[in-house]
Amino acid sequence: MNKFFSNRRLVIVIVCLIVSFGLMSVSVAIRNKRSTPPMIQQFGNDVVGIVNRVVAWPVNGLKGSVSGFSDLMNTYQENQRLKSQVQELAQTKVHDQAISQENKNLKKELKLAHSLTDYAPVNATVIARTPSAWQNQVIIDKGSAAGIKKNMPVLSGSGIVGRISEVNRTNSKVELLSNSSESANRFAVTITNKNGQNVHGIISGYDRDKNLIEMGNVTAKTKIEKGDKVSTSGLGGVMPAGLYVGTVATTGTDNYGLAAKISIKPATNLSELSVVTVAVRQAQTTN
Amino acid sequence: MLRVTKLRYGFPIGLFLFFYLDGILGATFPQQLFSVPYSMSSYLVVLWLVFTVFFEEQIQVPLTVWAAVAGGLFDVYYTGIWGIFVFVFPIAVALTKACYKAFPINFLSGLLVYFIDITVICSLSYFGNLVVHMTTASFADMMVDSLAPTLAYNLATYVILYFPVQWLFNRLRN
Repeated sequence: MNKFFSNRRLVIVIVCLIVSFGLMSVSVAIRNKRSTPPMIQQFGNDVVGIVNRVVAWPVNGLKGSVSGFSDLMNTYQENQRLKSQVQELAQTKVHDQAISQENKNLKKELKLAHSLTDYAPVNATVIARTPSAWQNQVIIDKGSAAGIKKNMPVLSGSGIVGRISEVNRTNSKVELLSNSSESANRFAVTITNKNGQNVHGIISGYDRDKNLIEMGNVTAKTKIEKGDKVSTSGLGGVMPAGLYVGTVATTGTDNYGLAAKISIKPATNLSELSVVTVAVRQAQTTN
Repeated sequence: MLRVTKLRYGFPIGLFLFFYLDGILGATFPQQLFSVPYSMSSYLVVLWLVFTVFFEEQIQVPLTVWAAVAGGLFDVYYTGIWGIFVFVFPIAVALTKACYKAFPINFLSGLLVYFIDITVICSLSYFGNLVVHMTTASFADMMVDSLAPTLAYNLATYVILYFPVQWLFNRLRN
């Protein structure tokens, strides 16, 4: 042991430790404060991202053919199930069309350009996933060139899955709702109950064992039941309103028995992502 | 320096291929690798570095430098946090070299060395993330949800790839 920690080695080890901690704290500070990473990091990420797409192409082709086969096996059952839903959907769609037309006319009447619910979708493909248990992150193939900015919400399937955490020129990183870091998933959401009453709140964490999103510090006395729909409220930041988050799974009180704690079942499977949509809010943002 | 063999081109190509596969496999098979609450982290790039220590024999690849480069890219491109893998990967390589000198490496003892490497990488990256508050998971959670599945996955890749990579290195050296 004495030999191992000779003077020179000891100095090298200590210098490495200091540099390591320094780099970590600087990068976390930059990540929290600035909207884009430093120029060198952006450039490096762009170059690495381009090659990533080339390597991913044959792997995705392989996966495509395998999943194509299994999809074929499921087709009949799925078709039966979907037929029953299509009828209902057509009606909802027509109704939606009429409502959005009416909404547009009313906005024009009020001279309102964009309200909180308006967003422009940017479609992107997932090209890689961070191989680490501590950052539930995916990398998508659209960046600031496509109009993506930090903190924008990312959707997949029917609901929200995460938000943009780092933007490069041609790719960006998406932090998923299941991320365990302390600042990852603070969305402003609203729960609408059966009587049409709203409860506002903020997502406060994620339960890894049960795969549920947690919403804490709810002090409103409005009655919330299992199955009530949760959507984004559009308050604060760059998030549009009305993006589907999930349904209420359980309600209870927090450890102190003062405020309500609500568990939300996510609308989409957070681990099965291949194509995502970034919602670019059109209303004026505050930051 | 590298002697003029095919390894001169083969080593970096393999390194980068495995580096990309780490991320791409996660994106292509998320259900299998990241089923909640377990998460298997793929460290194929480390596997390539470890195999190079085992199979390079007389040809001196500047492995620590390459490990730092791969670790740096891993930090910047995958995690977005500088300063964790850029030091962890060279540590794993140094550990493997020390073991290589201490006892003869064959398929089974190599498996053991790789087991130690992955454990060290997982633990160090966990502590790195813990100190910068990127995770709040407890040590016990980390052992069960992350370390155990990661070890299982990576040891399986070792078993599958040991003989093909050995054959490849024999081809590249000549």
